Amino acid sequence: MSDPTATKDASQAATAAIEAVGVRKAFGQVTALAGVDLTVTAGTLTALLGPNGAGKTTLVRIIATLARPDAGRVRVFGYDVMTQARQVRERIGLTGQYAGLDDALSGHDNLMLIGRLAGLSRGQAASRAAELTAALGLTDAAARMVRTYSGGMRRRLDLAASLMHQPDLLVLDEPTTGLDPGSRQQLWAMLTELRAAGTTMLLTTQYLEEADRFADIVHVLHHGKIIASGTPGQLKSQAGGEGSSLDDAFLALTRTDGANAEAVA
Amino acid sequence: MAVAVIPYRSARDSALIAGRNLRVLRKNPGRMIYPLVQPLVLLVMFVSVFGNLAVAGHAAGASGTYREFLIPGIIIENAALTAPTTGLALLRDASSGLADRFRSLPMARAAVLAGRLASDAVVFAVQAILLLALATLLGFHVRHGLAGLAAITAVTVAFGVGVAVLSAWLALLINDPETAERVLFFPAIALAFISSAFAPVADLAGWMQPVARVNPVTAAAAVIRSIASGGQLAAPLLELGGWTAVLILIPGLLAARRWQAAR
Repeated sequence: MSDPTATKDASQAATAAIEAVGVRKAFGQVTALAGVDLTVTAGTLTALLGPNGAGKTTLVRIIATLARPDAGRVRVFGYDVMTQARQVRERIGLTGQYAGLDDALSGHDNLMLIGRLAGLSRGQAASRAAELTAALGLTDAAARMVRTYSGGMRRRLDLAASLMHQPDLLVLDEPTTGLDPGSRQQLWAMLTELRAAGTTMLLTTQYLEEADRFADIVHVLHHGKIIASGTPGQLKSQAGGEGSSLDDAFLALTRTDGANAEAVA
Repeated sequence: MAVAVIPYRSARDSALIAGRNLRVLRKNPGRMIYPLVQPLVLLVMFVSVFGNLAVAGHAAGASGTYREFLIPGIIIENAALTAPTTGLALLRDASSGLADRFRSLPMARAAVLAGRLASDAVVFAVQAILLLALATLLGFHVRHGLAGLAAITAVTVAFGVGVAVLSAWLALLINDPETAERVLFFPAIALAFISSAFAPVADLAGWMQPVARVNPVTAAAAVIRSIASGGQLAAPLLELGGWTAVLILIPGLLAARRWQAAR
């Protein structure tokens, strides 16, 4: 569908789901991103960690075509997020911090609307909605107004909405925040299945044990820069050696500025 | 999943958004009280209180009653007072996670605004039809029967959509639902009252008259009175057409830009 506008870079970067180079973004005097370089390999689950205000959500919003970088370049599957936003949107699904749902409609109506706006036919949207509500344990609730859903059900429906057009890249901004352990477990079971099916995922989370357990690669963002990257095991061993947790590594990396962080990275 | 290239994507996506808005109304009937029930109550109240006033000849309709003058004014006043709901609904979407969902989809970017206006045009049409039906029961007479009633409905929808576009732009400019709720109705009230909706321009306070003469409410009410009772149609129709075009084009482009802008 979008091949005619694909660039040469697109084929060259076939295995990179996300390539960000020198991304900067400021809000007035506040610098959110101070030159971020990030590569996410297709098929991996990549976690973006960082303290509050580190710039995680800003980076996620730029990747999801919701915000413009002041400088730098971001490509998703080879497509530029600024100049080829439509092609990017055809390939991504977004689960933001706030559920992107209409409370005044039923779960089924929400999925049908989002599926059809993503370009599916009525039949495709209906069968995909049935498939996803079944997979996420929402079949019985699908006809109910979303405003009657619990927090966990809303999150699951939000994830289903993001998956309606079977995106190649799923961007998850703190998807489990505020969920009880049971709902978190249910959500992670679904995400694990998606990863096994080859969906690339970029995730921000405040639950470091989730990144430790599920992520292939972890990037630590601090003061608007990536200060450390590696597998959870690599970060733990770099930070404190055997017996260290990802919490220890995270605290060691973000407790001090620049020099220490770069040494670890 | 392979998604086919979709012809007329803007129209299709706008229709999907309009359908969603109307479904929300159908499934939440309480939201219809303000645009569809309150105008009927206001019509009955206004006509019962003021309908039989003896007024000078120039404020009376062809039948010689103030009622014939008043009812077209009430129809347009209700459209003006309903229009802010367009801006408030758009701002509610813009302030929720739904806005990010829409912006992250490969849908037509103008569809949220265009769909909102399309669904609200349906609301304006239903409102006008209900008001005309009740007005007919209250003794309001329209020349040319159904054709006249259809023409009045079309004029009301065109006027309502024009003011709705203005409210959409103002709401996105204010960018705070609570403030918008308190602010948006002021211009609508001023628009409705500083006009010939309830009294001829010549009978208004002196300071009001220059504003009332150029107010689109005055032009719209004059068009409806001419359709209903006869009288000069071309001049107010031209004036209303000009106002509607300006209101749809300029605030419409500004509102679309604000909605689409990546932050």
